[in-house]
Amino acid sequence: MVPRHSWDECGLSESMVSLQGIHKYYGEVEPRLHVLKGIHLEVGKGEFLSITGTSGSGKSTLLNLLGCLDIPTEGSYFLGGRDVSKQTDNELSRIRNEDIGFIFQSFQLIPQLTVLENVQVPLLYGEHSISEREDYCRGILDSVGLSHRLTHQPSQLSGGECQRVAIARSLVNDPLLLLADEPTGNLDSKTGDEVLELMDELHGQGRAIIMITHDLEVARRSERQVKIKDGLIMEEQK
Amino acid sequence: MGLQSLLGYPMRTILTMLGVVFGVGSVIAMLALGAGAERELLQEIGRLGIQNIIVNSVESEEPEGTNASGGRRGGMINFYGLKFKDHRQILETIPGIKKVLPVHLNKKKVWNGSRYLESTLFAVEPEYLETFGLNIELGRGLSSQDEDQLARVCIVRPGLLEELGIYENPLGFNLAIDDQQFQIVGVLGEERFQGYAQKALVSDARSSEIYVPYNTVLKRQGTRSFSGGAGSWEATDVELNQIVIEVTDLDRVLIVSKMVEALLSRNHPEKDYELIVPLEVLAQRRKTQQVFNIALVAIASISLLVGGIGIANIMLATVTERTREIGVRRALGAQRKHIIAQFLTETTTISILGGVLGILLGFGLVQILVLFTGWTAVITPSSIVIALTISVAVGISSGIYPAKRAAALDPITALRHQ
Ligand SMILES: Nc1ncnc2c1ncn2[C@@H]1O[C@H](COP(=O)(O)OP(=O)(O)OP(=O)(O)O)[C@@H](O)[C@H]1O
Ligand SMILES: [Mg+2]
Repeated sequence: MVPRHSWDECGLSESMVSLQGIHKYYGEVEPRLHVLKGIHLEVGKGEFLSITGTSGSGKSTLLNLLGCLDIPTEGSYFLGGRDVSKQTDNELSRIRNEDIGFIFQSFQLIPQLTVLENVQVPLLYGEHSISEREDYCRGILDSVGLSHRLTHQPSQLSGGECQRVAIARSLVNDPLLLLADEPTGNLDSKTGDEVLELMDELHGQGRAIIMITHDLEVARRSERQVKIKDGLIMEEQK
Repeated sequence: MGLQSLLGYPMRTILTMLGVVFGVGSVIAMLALGAGAERELLQEIGRLGIQNIIVNSVESEEPEGTNASGGRRGGMINFYGLKFKDHRQILETIPGIKKVLPVHLNKKKVWNGSRYLESTLFAVEPEYLETFGLNIELGRGLSSQDEDQLARVCIVRPGLLEELGIYENPLGFNLAIDDQQFQIVGVLGEERFQGYAQKALVSDARSSEIYVPYNTVLKRQGTRSFSGGAGSWEATDVELNQIVIEVTDLDRVLIVSKMVEALLSRNHPEKDYELIVPLEVLAQRRKTQQVFNIALVAIASISLLVGGIGIANIMLATVTERTREIGVRRALGAQRKHIIAQFLTETTTISILGGVLGILLGFGLVQILVLFTGWTAVITPSSIVIALTISVAVGISSGIYPAKRAAALDPITALRHQ
């Protein structure tokens, strides 16, 4: 299985992610909640970026925009040189499916499905035959150390195991951009460390990672740290 | 993949299915009863022979014969019905006819010693028995020799033998009819004419009719029959009670029947006859039966409709319950069409499973109905195809609205759903 990415060929821009003057408002009626107030952010290929900020500062909001789950009220977002605002609903689905790996704050596993089935979900929406799907997913689960839990349901797993299933699922389409919303938030420090080691490994494989955290210790493990304050991005100096 | 959710809640899945199970079951049963009725009809009217045309004499509203032309004291003779002339003219002038059989009937008391039975004497030509599939079980049929010799022989039904207490070897037994003795030479099978065929052939319900050679009756007794007591009497004079016409070619049955009708209406302006064309009757009855079948199936379909609404209802609840799952799938790259396909697959699976169970239920229902009512029922392959097609249609149509609702959810809102 060789996942292909639309930006592999284009190579137009050095940066994989480019946000220009992003504003996000919530609500239809005044006073609307102005969460993001003109964000500029460039993230290069293979970069490991962490975003910090106080609770309610708009970190998840920003990550949802980056993950093409939501659209900005104002401003433009280029992903791999493509203007996301110009994509149709189906094209956005395909981008989410093939180009982005999303690790949610609360895992978001499907409760009725087993671990192995959960990991296969993204593959259902691409063109993969069933036999290669299963073997491939076993391999990925093995690489996150879960090969003994394949037929369990999420409710039977610990928080750390759930997080690793979620990571495995984000990797099945071999995305070049991983978005992680508080990947260690629900975990004790030891399990959190394991997950962070996994993130380092993935970064080592050349993937770009954007990770939200409120823990400065965790943030320090990334290459580059930014902070959201008052709806704007501030670079932190190392 | 979406099917896990069906297996995840087996009880709910079964309950959801139930409406379709009963709906399909009753559709199957109704179709089977319809097909059974049609088969029965075919057998009943088929007995008359679809290549035949039957003309019966009927007493017209104002019998012409009330002018007592008999001229005997205190009596009246009632003339009506088909004449020998009609028989001859049909035979001579209408083309495409294989044979024309004259039939004369007499109500008679048949005696065995002091026991008697009210019976109908059918004076028929030898081919008559064969034409209507009356099989001789014992002895022989009527022959042209009997006709030539005006033999006093008869063919009877087993029922008559029983009524008259003739138990041992009936062949050769002499029955007393009026002042004459008729020898039994043949006994028919038990099988009787049913329903319409019975009426068309004027055979009586007790099936005690006796078949005798045509010439024997006509030459020896004539066509007049008397009834009444000493002082006054009544008589009817019907030359022929029935004419049976067999057409050579099935395609010509309707044309021949038109010609016969034309001929008879010329000879009988008072219309004291009735024309029965089994082929036409069959076509008419079939049409009625089909309308009836459609009505039955429409009624059964109401429970299918209710079943479909049940599925739609539960699916809508499921969509709400599974909002977050839908959000996750959308976030992981499912397009709207994938979500729609997932829900449609679920509803269609439910309804097809329901359909299969319903077919089994239908088989059971039919068995029970047949057992308790004695009706004929036939489960045809086409009714199974219809039932399955309907199930798929119910599945798709009940799933489409919930599926669209699910697909229309915004991923972010769906993911935040608690
Ligand atoms: N769908 C929404 N509708 C209305 N308001 C929203 C919505 N999503 C987020 N908000 C608001 O926008 C603000 C930013 O929310 P966001 O989830 O991005 O914060 P966060 O930085 O991720 O916080 P946390 O660290 O607690 O996860 C909050 O005040 C929140 O109430
Ligand atoms: Mg958040």
